[in-house]
Amino acid sequence: MDSAPSSARTAGLPTAGRLAVEALAAAALTAALFALCTRVGPLSIDGGRWWSDPVWMLRAMRLAAAAAAGAGLAVAGAAIQGLLRNPLGDPYVLGIASGAGVGVRAGLALGAWAGWIAWRTPAFAFVGALVAAASVHAVARRRGRVDPFSLILAGVIVNILNGALIMALYLATDPLRVDEFARWAMGELPEAVDPSLLAVCGGLVLGAWAAAFRRAGALNALGLGDDVARSLGVPVGALRVEIFVGSALATAAAVALAGPVSFVGLMVPHVVRLATGPDHRRVLLLSGFGGAVLMIAAETLCRGIGPHLGAGRLPVGLLTALLGAPFFIALLRRRFAEEDA
Amino acid sequence: MNAAISARGLAFAYRPAEPVLRGVDLDARAGELVCILGPNGGGKTTLLRCLLGLAAPSGGTVTIDGRPLAGLRARERARRLAYVPQTPGSAFAFSAREIVLMGRLSHLGALGLAGAQDLEIVRAAMEMTGTEALAGRTLDELSGGEAQRVMIARALAQQPTILLLDEPTSHLDLRQQGSVTSMLRRVAHDWPMAVLCVSHDLNVAAAFADRLVLVAGGRIAADGPPADVLRPDLLREVYGIDVDLVPRPGSGPPLVVARVPA
Repeated sequence: MDSAPSSARTAGLPTAGRLAVEALAAAALTAALFALCTRVGPLSIDGGRWWSDPVWMLRAMRLAAAAAAGAGLAVAGAAIQGLLRNPLGDPYVLGIASGAGVGVRAGLALGAWAGWIAWRTPAFAFVGALVAAASVHAVARRRGRVDPFSLILAGVIVNILNGALIMALYLATDPLRVDEFARWAMGELPEAVDPSLLAVCGGLVLGAWAAAFRRAGALNALGLGDDVARSLGVPVGALRVEIFVGSALATAAAVALAGPVSFVGLMVPHVVRLATGPDHRRVLLLSGFGGAVLMIAAETLCRGIGPHLGAGRLPVGLLTALLGAPFFIALLRRRFAEEDA
Repeated sequence: MNAAISARGLAFAYRPAEPVLRGVDLDARAGELVCILGPNGGGKTTLLRCLLGLAAPSGGTVTIDGRPLAGLRARERARRLAYVPQTPGSAFAFSAREIVLMGRLSHLGALGLAGAQDLEIVRAAMEMTGTEALAGRTLDELSGGEAQRVMIARALAQQPTILLLDEPTSHLDLRQQGSVTSMLRRVAHDWPMAVLCVSHDLNVAAAFADRLVLVAGGRIAADGPPADVLRPDLLREVYGIDVDLVPRPGSGPPLVVARVPA
């Protein structure tokens, strides 16, 4: 036990000042990437008055929706991982995103109150996400503990069920909307994002993000076990409910905007944790920006390479799945190696 | 003398027919190191959990600094009572310093951000436990004794008036046992703080505690200075085995040696 160099930590303790600096830097980076990506795409933009160009406007709205969805998924992933003390937690893997997806499509199928789309879609998504989250947790819970692998199995089951429900809704869809449905199910942002839907869902993501950040210290304490967390003043039961509801809300907002996009909630918190250490103040704060950056970049890439593949538009969910699956496999293998060591 | 923590008529039962605690009275004051001993299943861990507010007693009361424990809000309780579990563990690779900082949780404001004063308290707690040199390491990179000292530093950062520990030395080798027990004595006497430890090792407990409390069958069988509690007749009754007392080399309370049945 001599002074072996420990896991490299560049970040110091997360005091208010340091966190503010890091948040500003992350926000500036996200904004710069956003600004850059609004100028990149298959269609050129009037160089002089770009802000009034309709192409720029559509693209900016779409990238803002991508950013909000990415932030929502990444924050939900970080919060679930902290709550379950389990780095394999992710709203997509656990079936919460597909539950939100069932909600979105069920809401659209009941098209009666079309004028309320901005609220109705996230509301239905939220109900679906909450039902899925509660089911997965109930199935995986054994003697008060949630074991990582039973959790993933429960997620598989819930995902299969939700997939079947989405298929059933697909078969019942108006033939004119079948293409839109299929592309949404792959995780594609619409060409023209509804501004009021974006405002509502963006607001929900910000709210869930702030609420999760306020519980960052409690999530840290939970990492030392339920009893120690309680002795540190954490109301563990209430925290569990709050984090599940908040994560379901953030996931619902993301899925209402972008469809069930996979693995963002898994990858982003991991990369942040590798870079800054496990303190949830940092992980939650920076994962939101990280999710936004990943989705803005992935969406821009998909739009850019789609035409070269003869696909026109390429759903961003395809790219995150192609990136995320090997990432998930690597995580599992590392976990096995740690357990065998 | 005012007790920092005090239990009166404490009763607890998982099932009504099988009480685990049946009327326990216990006091501990600041500056005192108390070891709770007794046979397995005798109720000592349940007593600790009731004193911590982790288990709700079915009867009796616990008071902290003269206030009923049940009436304290979770944050208020965390500023008075600190707990160190038997096995240190963390689900994430927190550094020792990050873990000690968690002790400040109940003192932080709405955003949960640490200020300069919190960092100073963390530094002092690590100095008192001799863990400053370990600040950047994770629990996995520490020995059992070092990890236990980090967990105690975390408890001290809570600035409690009472520290409760569950078998703090049970997984430690002789040298680490010594460093943890002498540190707990310093904490109890110099802070001063009421320190209560559950332990199963009579001889280790007798060497470092100011007072021993023997819990058996859900009741207090004996409570007093080590030399008064370590009596062959009492221990035979409580543990159901014959024991001999032999003088401890140097000074201190006698050593208890169980007679191995032939």
